[in-house]
Order: sequence, then structure tokens, then C-alpha cells
Amino acid sequence: MTIWSWDYTFEVFPVIFKAMWITLSATIVAFALAMVLGIILAVLRRSSFKPLVWTIIGLSEFIRATPPLVQLFFVFYDLPFFGISLSPFVAGVIGLGVHYSTYCAEIYRSGIESVPRGQWEAATALNFSRTQRWTKVILPQAIPPIIPMLGNYLISMFKDTPLLSAITVVEMLQTAKIAGSASFRYLEPFTIVGFLFLVLSYPSALLIKQLEVHLNRRKKENKAKKSKVKDVAPSC
Amino acid sequence: MLTTMSKEITEKRIQTEKPFVVYKKVSKSFGDLKVLREIDFSVYPGEKVAIIGPSGSGKTTLIRLLMTLEEPTSGVIEIDGVPLWHKEVKGKLIKADEKHLHKMRGQIGMVFQQFNLFPHMTVLRNCTEAQVKVLGVNRKDAEDRAKEMLEKVGLGTKLDNYPSQLSGGQQQRVAIARALVMRPKVMLFDEPTSALDPELVGEVLDVIREIAAEGDMAMILVTHEMEFAKDVADRIVFTDGGKIIEEGSPKEVFENPKSERLQSFLRRMRK
Repeated sequence: MTIWSWDYTFEVFPVIFKAMWITLSATIVAFALAMVLGIILAVLRRSSFKPLVWTIIGLSEFIRATPPLVQLFFVFYDLPFFGISLSPFVAGVIGLGVHYSTYCAEIYRSGIESVPRGQWEAATALNFSRTQRWTKVILPQAIPPIIPMLGNYLISMFKDTPLLSAITVVEMLQTAKIAGSASFRYLEPFTIVGFLFLVLSYPSALLIKQLEVHLNRRKKENKAKKSKVKDVAPSC
Repeated sequence: MLTTMSKEITEKRIQTEKPFVVYKKVSKSFGDLKVLREIDFSVYPGEKVAIIGPSGSGKTTLIRLLMTLEEPTSGVIEIDGVPLWHKEVKGKLIKADEKHLHKMRGQIGMVFQQFNLFPHMTVLRNCTEAQVKVLGVNRKDAEDRAKEMLEKVGLGTKLDNYPSQLSGGQQQRVAIARALVMRPKVMLFDEPTSALDPELVGEVLDVIREIAAEGDMAMILVTHEMEFAKDVADRIVFTDGGKIIEEGSPKEVFENPKSERLQSFLRRMRK
């Protein structure tokens, strides 16, 4: 028995490649959930109703301080006791999505905080409603600069999807494991899984880096223009 | 003088009409710092009031309360007889909710020291967005009105530019147009030229002068430009240490200041 069999590699590759679509769709759906939930958490954290803010902070800290694998087990194996039975895929997407939403919320928060206070005041002075202040004025300025950071979390979540194999989602790693246990050859399937992760995440990382450079350059240009306007501390 | 006639008209009004904005014993503190101390102050319909005074005398805070950017610590502000920060329920004044503030705010407009244009919108969009989303004007009419006002401030050719492509003076003029399109009854100016390079101050003051001469809208101007205040205002209010120390016609205040504090302030400003 050779250590590496090319015949077996070519045989097993299409099977794992097919499973990649499960990995990708889980990543996309979970990240969409993380982004939407993240924005909600970030906005609610600025509420003037303190108990709500404390609840959100506590919950976020709790979620970030516990391993995602434990959370996935909880969602998949424990929620049925409370009458909520989810398919492995749905449980996985919710588990990862909620876990990453707490990180996304932090990134949104940094974006929101970098919008000058004057923008809030101008939006108030023009009598925009509370929701419109967010949707028309603050978020359109807060989000573009943080897109690269969100992108980094997207890649990092993508690389976390093998965790889903633990709750029986048949994604790439699980497929490789099944193939391995059938043929007693694990080297080729796991290598293929690693290779596919690399091929997808490395170019994405480069793309995000490029975007970051581009955004920084634009920010610098804007700053250069703005510095012409004399900066005067607001008085009372 | 351009404004003499409108001043006479306003003076007549003041004798006959009720004040539009009234401050009753309004105080504001930030922590231990008392910025305003029991201010009584009113503005009549169409009246132009300039607020002068040393930095930290509370003049900016005074107008920020009216724009609902700061909440008064105590006292009542009324717009057209209706409390701004309070609602009357069974004869008692309780704290107003956002819905009430939203209703009241429509009567006030504001121009800021730092312009605060929306950087992600073109000049035209800056002047149409609130008309469409807040007033419910259709986009075509909103654009017509925005173009008219931008023409008035001399920026009819910059519609598609972004704020970062404009000079400070141009940005401030867009900000004035953006406030005007909303048809406020009272317009607040918070040191509109303090953040500008000296050579750009004139163009902004000229635009404000022109708007003031048109009459209808009341204006409260917080400014350090004494000559400008003298020209434009029907009444000058001098604040120091969170109180109104002296007020009167520009002539009275500038030529015959009564209080020691105003006298020394004017001496310092003339240097």
C-alpha cells in the first residue's frame, strides 16, 4: 500500500468537491445571519433603556466566552428538550451565525462610533425620525470602512465550518471522514479538504487586503481635503 | 442699510404680536457645571436676534436646547405657546416623548459651526433627502426647491459634487440651503463662520444677510462677528456666565452699553 494514491485521490475528489457546496452555503447563510443580527445588537446597545443594554452586553460576553462547539451541541442536542428540533444544517447555521454576530456587533460598533457627533445632530435638526437617522445618515457612513474587517470574520467563519461535522452536517470534513472510514485511507481525503479550504480562503484574504488598502487611500485623500477646513473646538 | 426697512416692520410686529419662542427660567447643567442659569428669553415671529458673549457664556447651549440637541435641566421652552420639552397631561407638565419632539422640531432649523453636511450624499441629495423622507415631498418637487435654494446661496452649479470637493465656505452655504428647504419658522445659526478661513467668512455672511433681509423667518444668530450682528439683528442679547446680562437694539447695545461686563467685552472685541 503506497502512502499516497493518485487513483484514489481522483476518485474521492469529486465527492468532497460536491460537499464543498454545503460548506459554502452554510457559511453564506450563517454569515448573513451574523451580519443582520450583529447590526441589531450594535444598534440596540446604543439604546437609552439601560436594562436592555446590560442584557445585550451580558449575552454577548457569554456567547464570546464559550466555545462555538459547545454552543452547536447545545442548539442541536439540547434545544429538542425544549421542544425545538432543528435539522443539522439549520442548527449549525444558527449556532455559527449567533456566535459570530457578537463579533460582527463589535465591528459595527467601532464603525458607528467613528461617525462624528455632528452627523447625529444634523440628522436630528433636519427632523429625521430615529430609524431614518440610522438608515439614512449613520449606517451608510459607518459600514463601508468596516467591510474589510467583516470580510476577515467571513473567512474565519468559513474555516470554522468543519465544526458542523460534529453535529452531523455532511460538509467537506464529514464527507472526507466517511470516505476515509470506507476505504481506510484518510490521507488523501483530508489533504483534499485542506487544499480546498486553502484555495478558497487565501485569494479571499488577498482580496480583502486589497479592499482595505483602497479604503485607506480614500480615507487619506478625504482627510487631506478636510484638513484645509480649520478645526475649531465647539464652544458652549 | 439693506435691513432697515425689515427692521422697522419687525419692530411694529413686536409691539402687536405674541412671542413665537419663549424661554421661562431655563437652566442647563453639565454635571456640576452650570451653563445656563434661569434664562428668560423670547423671540418674536420674524425677529432676528443676535446672541453675543464670551466663549463658555452659554450662548450655543441656549440654541441647542431649542433644536432639542440638549435637554434643559429645568424650566420650560415654548414654541408658539406649546411646551417643547414637555407635554401637558391633565394640567401637569410631563417629559415629552420623541413623537412630540418630532412634531415640534419641524418648526426649527439649524446651521452648525462645523457644517455637518452628509459626506455620503451629493450637494443636491443633502438638500432633498429630508424633504422627501420627513416632509413627504415628492422627489421632483424636492429637487426643484433644493435647486432654487442652492441657486440663492450661489451654488447652483455644484449640485452633483460631494461635500469633500467643496471649500468650507461653500459647504456652509450648502448647509444653509439644506436648512432653508425645510421651511423652518425659526432658523438657528451656531457660530456659522467660526470654522472658516478668514477669506471665506464674507461669502457666508453675505448669504445670511440676504436671507435675513427677506423677512419672514425668525433667526437666532450666535456669532462673534460684531459688525455683522449690528447689521442683521433687530435685537442683540449679551450673555455671560450663563445669564442674559443686557439686551436691546444694536444701537443701544453697541453705542451705549450699560453693564460693566458688556463694556469690557466690547472693548476686548474691538482690539
